[in-house]
Amino acid sequence: MAQSLAPFKDAPERAGADSGDRFALDRALLHDLAGLALEAAKRAGASYADIRFGETLREYAQAKDDRLEHFDERRARGFGLRVLLDGSWGFYGARRLDSASLREGVDRALENARAVRPIQGRPIALEQLPAHEAEWVMPMGVDPFAVSTRDKADLLLSICAAARDNGADFCSASLSVAREERFFANSLGARIRQTRTRIHPGFTATAVDRALGRMASRDSLTPARGAGWEYVTGAGLLQEAALAGEQARAKLSAKPVVSGDYDLVIDPTNLWLTIHETVGHSTELDRVLGWEANFAGTSFIKPAMLDNLQFGSALMTIVADRSQPGALSTIGFDDDGAPASSAEFKIVDKGVFRNFQMALGQAHYIGLPESNGCAYADSPTAFPIQRMPNISLAPNPEKCTLEDLFSGVENGIYVVGAGSWSIDQQRDNFQFGGQLFYEIKNGRLGELLRDGAYQGRTLPFWRSLDGLGDASTYHLDGTFTCGKAEPVQVAPVSHGSPPARFRKVRVLNTTGDV
Amino acid sequence: MFLSEDDAKSLSERVLSRSSADACVVKIDGGEEHSLRFARGAATTNLATSETRIRISSHIGGRVGSVTTTLLDDDALQAARLRSEEIARLLPVDPDYVAPLGPQHYDPSARYDDNAAALRLDALAAQAARVIAEGARVDVDTFGCASSARQFEAMATSNGLFAYERSSEIDLSATARNKSDRWSGWAGAHEFFGQRLDAEAIARRACEKAAHDMEPVDLEPGNYTVILEPAAVAELAFWVMSAMDARAADEGRSFYARPGGGTMIGEKLFDEKLTIRLDPADPLAPEASVGWEGVPHRARHFIDKGVVNALYRSRSWAQKTGAEPVPFGRNFIVEGSDASLDDMIRSVKRGVLVTRIWYENMVERKSLLLTGLTRDGNFLIENGRVTAPVRNMRFNQRLGELFGNIVALGKTERTWRAAGGGGAAAAPPMLAESFCFSSKSSGI
Repeated sequence: MAQSLAPFKDAPERAGADSGDRFALDRALLHDLAGLALEAAKRAGASYADIRFGETLREYAQAKDDRLEHFDERRARGFGLRVLLDGSWGFYGARRLDSASLREGVDRALENARAVRPIQGRPIALEQLPAHEAEWVMPMGVDPFAVSTRDKADLLLSICAAARDNGADFCSASLSVAREERFFANSLGARIRQTRTRIHPGFTATAVDRALGRMASRDSLTPARGAGWEYVTGAGLLQEAALAGEQARAKLSAKPVVSGDYDLVIDPTNLWLTIHETVGHSTELDRVLGWEANFAGTSFIKPAMLDNLQFGSALMTIVADRSQPGALSTIGFDDDGAPASSAEFKIVDKGVFRNFQMALGQAHYIGLPESNGCAYADSPTAFPIQRMPNISLAPNPEKCTLEDLFSGVENGIYVVGAGSWSIDQQRDNFQFGGQLFYEIKNGRLGELLRDGAYQGRTLPFWRSLDGLGDASTYHLDGTFTCGKAEPVQVAPVSHGSPPARFRKVRVLNTTGDV
Repeated sequence: MFLSEDDAKSLSERVLSRSSADACVVKIDGGEEHSLRFARGAATTNLATSETRIRISSHIGGRVGSVTTTLLDDDALQAARLRSEEIARLLPVDPDYVAPLGPQHYDPSARYDDNAAALRLDALAAQAARVIAEGARVDVDTFGCASSARQFEAMATSNGLFAYERSSEIDLSATARNKSDRWSGWAGAHEFFGQRLDAEAIARRACEKAAHDMEPVDLEPGNYTVILEPAAVAELAFWVMSAMDARAADEGRSFYARPGGGTMIGEKLFDEKLTIRLDPADPLAPEASVGWEGVPHRARHFIDKGVVNALYRSRSWAQKTGAEPVPFGRNFIVEGSDASLDDMIRSVKRGVLVTRIWYENMVERKSLLLTGLTRDGNFLIENGRVTAPVRNMRFNQRLGELFGNIVALGKTERTWRAAGGGGAAAAPPMLAESFCFSSKSSGI
């Protein structure tokens, strides 16, 4: 099995002290401010405290047809202090980085812990935590923020032109870039400085038939990645935009999907989102405990199902990690200060559910000694909560190509690219669209279809998995914007997978009887 | 950090006075927020935050570069301004460029209350305690979130515009589950004024809905008579409203596009019982005074007795098409009638009462085909009475058909909404036929 996990095995780069030029914030200042705040919290009686400082630099550009509509750069700095006082959390965050604000932050965090004490019920209990001192810098080629504004604008306009020259009536193209720099310190002595960059070039090509009142669009299949500008230049975006223009036009007159049960071969450009919604969220322990019951939802999984639930077929192995190169959750330490190695585990092993995802203070609810490195706060001013590491479907250890998967299908559909998505709050009933649907007839890929979506229930769907591509077919996809919690926090996360075959899945025609 | 009007004006003038661009727009926003969550009757996470952001947009030769920063010292502001000017100089000329607005007249919008603005976590914990106590009284577990905020937004342009408005918010939502964890109820409210939020009523409604020991029933997929409670109606109406973009309609990419070209403004696309409007002056769910581009929000019926009356239109698209700019709305009111929810239930022979819906997503934009699921309080209605809890169902529903065949609307009330990042919404309960539940879920 180790060989089949080849895409996961590269460890993140551990940079030394000489990596300081990748950091914008002053190291000595951060250490001083952290010491000030954590000491003050301890003196006031906090049994534990941690603090996150950070800067996030973002760039967002958007073009529509022949017009660059927006080019925005955003820089946000701040801190968030979390204290545990008499069994209650108290948190305060502010968009400032000075000692006066830190002192106010300590008072306010302690005030908040005292304020919630009347409704604390069960005191918050923490496990033993390691205290790491480390720096981690994401490996990257060309810093996207060093690339000229004009080059980025020209790229987006060229993408729009390529799509429109090849069949699209309209095209919108966008570029999102973010660089996170974080400094984490806690009252146990941890001091961790990290930085990473993520980038997502995207577009939507749209074709319209005004006479028929019909429209069709084709979104880019180029995923968001933890990467530099070299990822954008190597992604073949102009070629993809030209193809997307053709495909959007072709979708207008494609054969409609006929509703019914089909064998599906799902491309990794679509399957990542299904993995995210059905496996990623359902195995979050905070949801299982009810901590998200009021908004993001709970899970069909109960603690007693650990090591007992047959989640899927024996081909299904779902692996968590924080080390895949280019993945959006790859990082040296999570936002509780747990090392990336904590987050290397199997969620499902050969079909059997084996591990929840956990953040600090959750493991004892299911009788485990410690969390597994799954905390993230979407800004320094946000309370860290359980969020997904990279969660991926391991490829088949046996040789299996995409064509091999088709060959086992008499009457089926091949689904490419993510479309509309929805799942119930307990992560059971789902419905996913796609960008491209092709018929599979007698083992061969057939015509383009339009207006499809597939619908299912999580366990029957994964138990129907009976074909899986090998490592050569593996693809890493993901999103910048997984939402959870109140107030809503947005997390980046990647999901890799090979193409996979599922039997007898219900497919809808979205312009017909639904 | 919450800035007063004077402080925001002073800060914006400081930036504008140093601009070397042809024109400059400064937007400043921020404030303070408090929030706490609880689960199974006990506190989990909480926070208090303070934030101020300034966005500087420099206009040079028909190009616009924007930089936003949370750093407000002189050096940082200068760096942000210079960078925005650098970006503008590097961009291609915008063929649809529009210059910044000059002075505007804004209708007042009452959305600020000193009492709500002053609420901190101790007050929110007291509200949560009411929910937890009610849960203990009726023997259900309680989960929820209470939050409060005071926020401001300011906009200034080198052409003489200065606009400032502030708002306070208080929000309480509660989920209750029976002790076997096999049934769930929910209630929630969002208000700008603290005294208008009734925590006791929210606690009672959520716990009443959850206090059922009966095993939930599964219904077969199909078309059902439904009564959608106000939170569900507001959520669905949001999707009707969010699709009302004039450019998408003009380009044939929308439900509101006229076959062959043009928009459906003036056409009756919905039942005559449907009216959806925005109004900064309506205290029930007041829209902000100032739209995103500085265009004033006016009292406006977007859908009037089923007829499409207006579409949103950005300034650049308005300039290009020679039409009036209409700012995108975040807060809206769905008009109702005097019918009570109980009367509606009594009128239904067999149907489903839906408390709220979840994870909606547009499946097909041209027909407004929306999918999503029910949650936290689905009930079977038989012969005019609620008879059993019903497990969740997925719907695939064309909103034109749903809002085109309204049987009855109840009394409009302020409600809670998640879609579109929340906001103020007022909606009535709605009785409709042939709501398409396309599959079952094991969830509650």
